Amino acid sequence: QAIDDDCNQTGQLLAAMLDWPQATFASRVDLEAGAVQVQREVDGGLETLRLRLPALITADLRLNEPRYATLPNIMKAKKKPLEVLDWAALGVPPPLPRLRVLVVEEPPARGGGERVDDVAALVDKLRQCGRI
Amino acid sequence: APSGPGNRGAMAWRAARLLRRGSAAGRRGIAACIDPSVGLTEEQKEFQKVALDFAAKEMAPHMAEWDEKEIFPVETMRKAAQLGFGGIYVKPDVGGSGLSRLDTSVIFEALSTGCTSTTAYMSIHNMCVWMIDTFGNEEQRRRFCPSLCSMEKFASYCLTEPGSGSDAASLLTSAQRTGDTYVLNGSKAFISGGGDTDVYVVMCRTGGPGPKGISCLVLEKGTPGLSFGKKERKVGWNSQPTRAVIFEDCAVPVGNRLGAEGQGFSIAMKGLNGGRINIASCSLGAAHACVLLAQEHLTVRKQFGEPLANNQYLQFGLAEMATRLVAARLMVRNAARALQEGREDAAVLCSMAKLFATDECFVICNQALQMHGGYGYLKDYAVQQFVRDVRVHQILEGTNEVMRMIVARNLLQG
Repeated sequence: QAIDDDCNQTGQLLAAMLDWPQATFASRVDLEAGAVQVQREVDGGLETLRLRLPALITADLRLNEPRYATLPNIMKAKKKPLEVLDWAALGVPPPLPRLRVLVVEEPPARGGGERVDDVAALVDKLRQCGRI
Repeated sequence: APSGPGNRGAMAWRAARLLRRGSAAGRRGIAACIDPSVGLTEEQKEFQKVALDFAAKEMAPHMAEWDEKEIFPVETMRKAAQLGFGGIYVKPDVGGSGLSRLDTSVIFEALSTGCTSTTAYMSIHNMCVWMIDTFGNEEQRRRFCPSLCSMEKFASYCLTEPGSGSDAASLLTSAQRTGDTYVLNGSKAFISGGGDTDVYVVMCRTGGPGPKGISCLVLEKGTPGLSFGKKERKVGWNSQPTRAVIFEDCAVPVGNRLGAEGQGFSIAMKGLNGGRINIASCSLGAAHACVLLAQEHLTVRKQFGEPLANNQYLQFGLAEMATRLVAARLMVRNAARALQEGREDAAVLCSMAKLFATDECFVICNQALQMHGGYGYLKDYAVQQFVRDVRVHQILEGTNEVMRMIVARNLLQG
C-alpha cells in the first residue's frame, strides 16, 4: 500500500515528472513487444489502454493474489540490510514542502432531523430549504 | 438463527479469517485474552500470520469436503511444503526450515484452525523427517530428507501393533538379520497415512525382548513383502487414511537402519516428545476456532427475545472455555521451550502438556458444540468436525493414561 495518505497521487506525479505514460488501478497487465496492455478499473467499468514502454503502472487489489511468505524468506528478511540514504549523498536537492496548513476545524454540529407524513410534505420541505 | 445449512465451509473460513486479522488491539471480534500471538517474537508472529493465512484460504474452505469424501489432500500439503511446512524443525542442509519447537507449535496451532485432521497428519510427517534427520547418517539424511521436506514423498510412523499399543516396548514385528539384509515379519496397526505414503519409519525387534531389543528401519512403498490392510472407517481424522501395515518376508537393507541396533525404542520415544507437543498444538488450534465459532453463535442466535450472549450461564461457559484454552496453550509452549533447550524435564513436560491440552481442548470443542444447540450436531456446521477430529488426540501418540504413567513415574522415582 502506498504511503501517500491514500491521496492517489504518487504514481501519477511520478509519471508526469518522468514524462512516461501511466495506467493506474491496473487489474490486468499483459506485456507485448515494447508496449504493455493494461486493463484499468474505472468508475464506469473497465478501460483497456496500450502504453509504450517505459510506462508507469499502479496496481489495484484485483491485479493478483499475493504469494505467501515462505518460512526461510521470513527468516532472511530479518537479516536484510536496511540502508538509510542521505539527501546530500544523492546530489539531489531535498523536496521543499509545498503544502502549508492554514486551519483545521471540526465541521458544524449536525442538527436534528424532522419527520414528515407523506411524500408531498417531503417535497414541500425540500423546496422550502432550497434543496430542490 | 445463524446462517443456514450449506455454509459449513463459510463458517469455518470465517472463524479462521477472524483469527488472521492483525494484532490484538482493535481486531474485530477477537478478544485480547485469547490472542495466540501474545508473548511471541516478531518473527514468530510472521510465521503465525503465514500459517493462519494458509489455513484460512487453502484449508478451511475444504475441511468439510476432505472429511466427508475422505480425501488425503496431497496438493494442498505440497503447497504447504513449498512454504517450508514439510520439515519445520529439520535442518536446512537437507531441505528443512531449521525452526525451533516453539516456532513449530505456533505453526501447527495456526494451521489446525483450517483443518485439524490434515495438520495432525503433517505433524506426523514432520516427526518422521526429524527422526531421519537426527538419527540417520549423512547418506540416509541425503537420501530421504529432501524429498520428504518438499512432500514430494510422504512418511508414516509405525510403532503400534495389534498386540502392543500402550505397551509399545512389547512389539513383536521381527527383523531377522542375514548378511546385509533384515527380513521383516509382522504387522503394524492404525498407521496414519498407511498405504498412501511412500516412506515408512518402522520400529521392529532385532534383539531380545523389551525396549533394548528394538531397532528403527526405514522402508519405502513398493518393497516386496510390504502390503497394507483395508482403509479404516473412522469417526474423525478422515482427511488422512489409516491402515494396517503388513510385513511378509520383507527384505530391507541394513543401510536403512537409523542409528544402532537396539536404539530404535529410544529414537521412537524422542520422536514422540516432539510429536506430543505437535498433537497438543493441533488441539489448541481446533479449540481456538471453536471458541470463535461459539462466540459468534452466541451473538447471533436469539432465544427468549434476546441474544444467547446475554445469558449469564453461557457467558460463564465462554469464559471457562477461554480460560482452559489459555492455560493449555501455556502448558504446550512451556513444554516446547523445555524441549528445544534440551532440559532434563522436557519429556515429562511434553507428556503433561499433551495430557492437559488434549483433554481441555476436547472439552472446549464439545462445549462449543453444545452451545450451538441442534445446529451443532449437523455436519453443515464446522464445530462437530473439530470435536470429532480432536477426540483422537486424547488417545494416540501415547494415550492420556500413559501420559499419567510418565508423570507419576517422574514424581515417585524422585
